[in-house]
Amino acid sequence: MLILKNIHKFYGTNEVLKGVSLEVKQGELVTFVGPSGCGKTTLLRLIGGFTDISSGDIILDGQRINDLPPNLRDTRICFQNYALFPHMTVAENVGYGLKINKWPKHKIAARVHELLDMVELQAFGDRMIDKLSGGQQQRVAFARALSLEPKVLLLDEPLSNLDANLRLVMREEIRKLQERLHITTVFVTHDQFEAMAISDRLVVMKDGLIEQVGSPIEIYERPANEFIAAFVGYVNFMDGRIESIDPVTRNTAVSTPYGTFEITLEQDDIRTGDDVLMVIRPESVSLSIDCKQGGKNILCGSLKTYMYAGSLAKCTVMIGEKKMIIDQYNPRDAQHFKLADKVEVEIPRSVHLLKKK
Amino acid sequence: MATAELSLKLQSSSGSRVKDFLNANMVNILAAFLFLLLAFFLLYPIFAVLIKSFRGPSGFTLEFYQNFFSKNYYYQSLLNTLLLGVINTVVCLVIGFCLAYMTTRGPWILRKPLKIISLVPLIAPPYLFALSLIILFGRNGIITRALDLHWELYGFGGVVISQTLAFIPLAYMMIESTLMSLNPNLEESAYDMGASEATILRTITIPLLAPGLLKAALLIFVMTIAEFGNAAILGGRTPFLAPDTYTMITGESDFNMGSVLSVVLIAPCILIFFIHNYLLEGKKFTTIGGKPVASEPRKITPLIKIPFVIITTAAAGAIFICFAVVVAASFYKILGVTDRFVLSNYLDFTSNQAIYNSIRVSFVAAVIGAVIGVLLSYVIVRGKFFGRSFIEMVSLSGFALPGTVLGIGYLLAFSAPPFRLTGGIMILALNCVFRFLAVGVEAGISKLHQIHIEIEEASADLGASFMTTFFRIVLPIMFPAFIAGFIYTFMTAIVSLSAVVFLVSPGFQLAAVKIFDAAVYGEIGIASATTIKLILIVMLCMAALNFISKKTKIGSSMSQKGVS
Ligand SMILES: Nc1ncnc2c1ncn2[C@@H]1O[C@H](COP(=O)(O)OP(=O)(O)O)[C@@H](O)[C@H]1O
Ligand SMILES: [Mg+2]
Repeated sequence: MLILKNIHKFYGTNEVLKGVSLEVKQGELVTFVGPSGCGKTTLLRLIGGFTDISSGDIILDGQRINDLPPNLRDTRICFQNYALFPHMTVAENVGYGLKINKWPKHKIAARVHELLDMVELQAFGDRMIDKLSGGQQQRVAFARALSLEPKVLLLDEPLSNLDANLRLVMREEIRKLQERLHITTVFVTHDQFEAMAISDRLVVMKDGLIEQVGSPIEIYERPANEFIAAFVGYVNFMDGRIESIDPVTRNTAVSTPYGTFEITLEQDDIRTGDDVLMVIRPESVSLSIDCKQGGKNILCGSLKTYMYAGSLAKCTVMIGEKKMIIDQYNPRDAQHFKLADKVEVEIPRSVHLLKKK
Repeated sequence: MATAELSLKLQSSSGSRVKDFLNANMVNILAAFLFLLLAFFLLYPIFAVLIKSFRGPSGFTLEFYQNFFSKNYYYQSLLNTLLLGVINTVVCLVIGFCLAYMTTRGPWILRKPLKIISLVPLIAPPYLFALSLIILFGRNGIITRALDLHWELYGFGGVVISQTLAFIPLAYMMIESTLMSLNPNLEESAYDMGASEATILRTITIPLLAPGLLKAALLIFVMTIAEFGNAAILGGRTPFLAPDTYTMITGESDFNMGSVLSVVLIAPCILIFFIHNYLLEGKKFTTIGGKPVASEPRKITPLIKIPFVIITTAAAGAIFICFAVVVAASFYKILGVTDRFVLSNYLDFTSNQAIYNSIRVSFVAAVIGAVIGVLLSYVIVRGKFFGRSFIEMVSLSGFALPGTVLGIGYLLAFSAPPFRLTGGIMILALNCVFRFLAVGVEAGISKLHQIHIEIEEASADLGASFMTTFFRIVLPIMFPAFIAGFIYTFMTAIVSLSAVVFLVSPGFQLAAVKIFDAAVYGEIGIASATTIKLILIVMLCMAALNFISKKTKIGSSMSQKGVS
């Protein structure tokens, strides 16, 4: 188990990490996600021991490892640029750590063979690094990092140098291997979708601070604030006020400038009279032609844009002055939608509410 | 749009044929002209040396070479020179590596000061160190007298030490730039997998640095064996090729043997020039996504740290002391012998006259050099004619040639009719122009690579003639390169000694030669004061260059090279 306790990091007077605390369970994959420059790489380098920590503690399996240099820490980092040794073959790269740790030759050979098997590069052992594709280099880096069976694996944006398709393939592979080997992993990315797809838990960071920790579902469905709601996907915000809450059914009326909506409240911290922000995800809204006016949670608007992209159509609907983005999945009736038409927008009953301060 | 194009076409077809021809071939005509200049002022003198070494009173002969290889003295001279080259190269590489390692991997607070000290010798002529060693360890040296020692500074040891100190900055700069371009994550990955500092050095850093180290080694080797000043001042009775050439010419007026010595000195230079340019080209390990970033310091084990600290402190301390004693010596008649503080060294008439002459010569050289440099770089980058890379090679080669060779070459080529130039300022200036042409050409090339050819093509498309395009578009853009080339040439020329020492006439002394003479005749005060004046001029030039490069981003990619 890896514990980070109130970690601060200063570069000169610039405070890059402002008190980060977290517990990562054995075998868990935790992803730090946040915009570029929020301190993700710095945090990984601190855990790896490459940078001195300004204050706080790093505890690995009960041992405080703050002052251990990287070569004595049981953590292994994969740098964003892979940092493969260009003057060595694939096999030499993968076997480097074993050689450094004085494994006997035949054992090194066997272990390298096993690792290359694992990342499906059996045939590439004798290649030089610059004769590999980006994806293959990524696998070598991964195999090299796993060679000594570290307690914690640190991955710094491992997929950011790959093209989109390969990124999807590789993230599945990494996740599969990680689960199979049950290795504690700290993954860093600025890509929120990648983060949600690969992780057990997400840590959303901003400006050196943790904004929220939770499972991908929690983060997406129940973001703690506006920043997170907007960071993990597009969102339509709508101001509102709680008019009433039924204590038994939890049926709740929210009044907004566009009418009153009825939702099922799932949060405990919201009271009648609270000012809230409704977090309405584009895919949760349903869209249909014609507006008969009057149904519950139904709004009328005019269709401003309609972009058909096969599996979904991305639409913009103007409700009065308010622009609403709507993702219509499985858009079978696409041909019936015409721009500037009147359309009907249905706000779902399960809407996450952010309490305003 | 279409009509405009049409009218342009009509216009050009109605223009005279001669004009069209000129427009289309201007680059080639320019190239031919420049090539003639190079041939006359660079190749011809070199060939003159080559020919002289084979031509006796009765035509072609190998007599002089036989003489060289049969006489123990010459053989010893060659051996000494090569040995000096090897020792110097190795020592400079080791020290340069330690310094570079400390300034790129060491503790943050040490990086900047160490870097400054490592680069400081660049502002001084290399023979400053010979001077400092005389002041410290010469027969009347401060330390010699203080400790009542009876040692002999003049000889192999003294030359090695002064040369090493003089070439530390070159070694440092080259190694530092390769270390900086090394992705720090590579070393960190090794560190991460359990490697100690020593193991990282052995298995990662040094193997990856090898091509860069080899390049640096070759360059330092060539420059040290060709270096004239230190060996001439401190050589004593130990023969070295470069100073021997000088005594052969000025002392014995034996141009044949002088030429043979030069040719023998050129041979390794040419060999290494080719290895450097062709064999090592592109031999460099690159990594993906690795932008140069500063490495964070690692916890270095004492086993590695102590030797590094000792070597770097010793080198930095030695450099500092050498400068300090020259400054001090400039205020005494002879430091350590007479202890009355005087300003007379700075007021010395011959010294100031020499400085004035040097400024004039260097100024003329810088103007011509910058013009030719800009034009040559244009031809090299934009030209598409046969022999383009040959022109490039020739124009860059002046730098790699030992100065003594071009000194004798000019003496042979331009001291007799039909091309008599000796005795004036022009022969000195032209010699500097063509020796240091590489400096202006490199400035021009680096600037031209920032300009897209499309700008010129656009201008040409709009119907502008070559001349118009060149003067309206190319020259203004190249202006910073011109200025950089001017200043570089100026400050390289003003400290250079090894070629001009052959060419000065008794009535026209140059500062570098004045320092050399004064050092040889024991006028330490005057030698030091003149050196300090040169250093101040060079510092002014560097400040100007720094200002310009900040304004125009030129020259930042260029490295300044140590010159003898
Ligand atoms: N070695 C360093 N020295 C000074 N500042 C640094 C250093 N490394 C990172 N920073 C600063 O720390 C902040 C966070 O950087 P980083 O951890 O790389 O962010 P991320 O990986 O999230 O993009 C940035 O503002 C960056 O400029
Ligand atoms: Mg980063």
